[in-house]
Amino acid sequence: MIQSNDKSNGHMKEAKLPRRDWILMPMLSLLTIGLMIGSAELIADRMNPVLRDSLKPMSQCLIMSVPADGYSALPDSDCWDKELEAPVEIEYRFNSCGHRAGMECGPKPPGNYRIVMIGASTAFGFSVPREKTIAALLPTKLSLQTGRKIELYNESMLSRHPSVVPKHFDEVVAASPDMILWVLQPTDIENESPEKAWEPNSAKTGFWARAKIRIKVLFMTESIPDAVRHLWNRGVAVFDETAPVVQLQFLLEKAFYEDPRLYMKHYLMGGGDSGFMQLQTNADWQNRLRYFDRDAADTLGRAKAAGVPLVVVLLPNLPQAIMISMGEWPEGFDPYKLDRELRTIVTSHGGTYIDILSDFRTIPNPERAFFPWNPHPNADGHAIIADLLTKRLTSGTISALKVTSQTQAEFEKGK
Amino acid sequence: MDTASFQFVLFGLVAALVSNLSRSRIWRSIVLLLTSLVFLGLLAHNPIVFLPLAVFLLLGYITHVILQRGWTRSVGWILCPVIFGYIWLKKYTFLPEAFLSCSPYFTLGLSYIFFRVMHLLIETGDTSEKRRVGLGAYLLYTLNFTTFISGPIQRYDEFARDQIASDPIPLGPRVIGLQLERIIRGFFKVNVLAMLFHLVQEDALAQLFHPLPLSFRLYAAFKLAVVYPLFLYANFSGYIDIVIAMARLMRVRLPENFDRPFSASSVLEFWTRWHITLSTWFKTYVYNPLLIALMRRISLRVMEPLLGVFCFFVTFFLVGIWHGRTSEFVIFGLLTGGGISINKLWQLGLTRAIGRQRYKALANDFVYVAFGRGLTFIWFAFTLSWFWADWKQIDRVFAALSVVQWLGVWLAAWLCATVVLASWEWLFAALLSIRSLEGPVLTSRYVRVVYASALGLIAMVMTALLNQPAPDVVYKAF
Repeated sequence: MIQSNDKSNGHMKEAKLPRRDWILMPMLSLLTIGLMIGSAELIADRMNPVLRDSLKPMSQCLIMSVPADGYSALPDSDCWDKELEAPVEIEYRFNSCGHRAGMECGPKPPGNYRIVMIGASTAFGFSVPREKTIAALLPTKLSLQTGRKIELYNESMLSRHPSVVPKHFDEVVAASPDMILWVLQPTDIENESPEKAWEPNSAKTGFWARAKIRIKVLFMTESIPDAVRHLWNRGVAVFDETAPVVQLQFLLEKAFYEDPRLYMKHYLMGGGDSGFMQLQTNADWQNRLRYFDRDAADTLGRAKAAGVPLVVVLLPNLPQAIMISMGEWPEGFDPYKLDRELRTIVTSHGGTYIDILSDFRTIPNPERAFFPWNPHPNADGHAIIADLLTKRLTSGTISALKVTSQTQAEFEKGK
Repeated sequence: MDTASFQFVLFGLVAALVSNLSRSRIWRSIVLLLTSLVFLGLLAHNPIVFLPLAVFLLLGYITHVILQRGWTRSVGWILCPVIFGYIWLKKYTFLPEAFLSCSPYFTLGLSYIFFRVMHLLIETGDTSEKRRVGLGAYLLYTLNFTTFISGPIQRYDEFARDQIASDPIPLGPRVIGLQLERIIRGFFKVNVLAMLFHLVQEDALAQLFHPLPLSFRLYAAFKLAVVYPLFLYANFSGYIDIVIAMARLMRVRLPENFDRPFSASSVLEFWTRWHITLSTWFKTYVYNPLLIALMRRISLRVMEPLLGVFCFFVTFFLVGIWHGRTSEFVIFGLLTGGGISINKLWQLGLTRAIGRQRYKALANDFVYVAFGRGLTFIWFAFTLSWFWADWKQIDRVFAALSVVQWLGVWLAAWLCATVVLASWEWLFAALLSIRSLEGPVLTSRYVRVVYASALGLIAMVMTALLNQPAPDVVYKAF
């Protein structure tokens, strides 16, 4: 490094800067930044050929007509995606109702016990071939355990966080479920926001009116520093999604976070994301839980009205799974905290809550069950989760799925 | 605020901006004092915790007034309460626990305040011309937020020359540009380089204890051996770059604290390039007086070089133990003092054995210098084991491999450091030799703009990506 400071430090008169430098130097700076960003984008594209040209990318199958409703998939569409860590390109085939269900939508075959699964990316099976997802594995395992014909109809969708779920509840009821399984992850709660209170207006008004509402919501429900932080985090999130940044982050995490303890330590240092595990009161997360309470009440109320039992489960994220598996975590954190809070909320609204977090104590090296960079479980993770769900669902929590010596015929007869 | 964070940089830039609204000495002093007080307020919200520090500062000022009034016959005794006050506040572990205060109080920056106060007192006691330092100037000098956390240790006369001068030093676009570039460079060093080196060290530490094949653990040990000096340099010199540039924007020149330390080809030279203001302070107020005192008592000429070696040992032993309050730092001090004394003995012995001329020729030999540079780096890295680790960690680290394996690791690290540092020196010299009419192209303002923009962009991306608080400045703990 060059240590020299200004040589004209003393009282000697400083030489005047040539006039051309006032233009040349800012231009040089902009050119450097532009070149770096441009070349980083090019290198990232070369290093990570996202998808073959012949395949239709995921973005062409997803629609978002009203932002408040979140994503939906085009009926009868077939798209592909390739994430950095995923070994192969993944196919996402949607049925005529726009669900990645692995079956056609419509009435269930007589005698079958149908579970409709709702949730966001993990339940959707993001970056995992459909036949290896929870949605594909769970009914087979449940059928084997219970001796009944159990099918699972997957209505999960990317970014279908709790605030969006009630919007699509009619589709859930239309699938005539015997049980609804709502799969949550910490990111679902992290994405909770106060915007729902304004949603009836936001759907109908124009861009400027909606922008005004957004600002109003932002500053009415949060303090100004929180609102500024919120905006900054959104900006960072957009920036984080650019190709070179994704590539760089992937390389960094691969290089430095191979050791699960290190990964956990640095994740916890990150602050915001790990707030749901902090024992000390975290205002952001308290607000998010309040919004979840509102959405859970809405969703569970609809399920109750439809007369269908709704079972909620929280899946851990990678640092949480590491902490539980190792059985140790730093002071001031508790990986079970969110689990307890969600259980209280769900049961207070009459829902059923099952806990699989504690079962991760028996899972060695849980880091192998998750993609290293994107926070989702990989195929191994889906298999583990399907096993744990089978164990919990058949343990008696749901009477219809309780393991008994009854056969399918006896079930049908009893019905 | 006590880290090289974006907020700290912004705070310094705003302070510099406000300070430059007027060239008046009074205005600049008011701004510096207020910003320093605000800075302290941001570090701790409860004013009570500052009470011991305030009493210490007051004690220092009263001592200064006593000395300034001519009570200089027993300077040593007069300084004792200040030294004792410092040791008590720092809670050195050799003091009985019952004797220490249980209630928490603010000690951040105390060592650097102590050095400044001691310098002021010794100079006041020593000089025949008694200079009066007002309470305002004293507070400005001791609480200056740019040097508060980790130095550099500035002399009072240098501070007064710039801060209290009626005609402040010029600050034009060239100087501003240079300082902004230096802030970006410092920010990059702390928030990117130091962060990455720290991750490598943590990773190596974890791998060393894993049941991995021997080759993996040897590689982890190698990384562990070499990475900490790089981390410490990036962390500390980066922070110093930021504060020097901030102070210059406030029209105060702070002394340099680093001068490419890993270019040093001997331990003796290394300490003239690393934490310069600390080693200069110790040379001025420990080495020189001790050597003079010993030479007065022992007048044998043949003993003179050995007295120098002894004084070097004492001085750098004190430099070492200053860094911490625990027994690990006694070893660090012994190794630092021992290393520098052995280096001096080697110089003396070799000069006696082959003659002054041949020694000079050898000291300029490329291969000798390169191996000397590698050895200096590795010795420093080795001594730092007692700097970053506690006894438990040290035991675990050294027990992870056999003695022979560790010797192999350190030998490989020496050879590697020799080659890498020699290549770096060659590359640096080659780049500097490319010159335009105005001087080396590498240091021209155009090239500085280019790499400042690049480093700034990388620092921003990495800061956002890692999404972690700015790493602590290691030297703030001392």
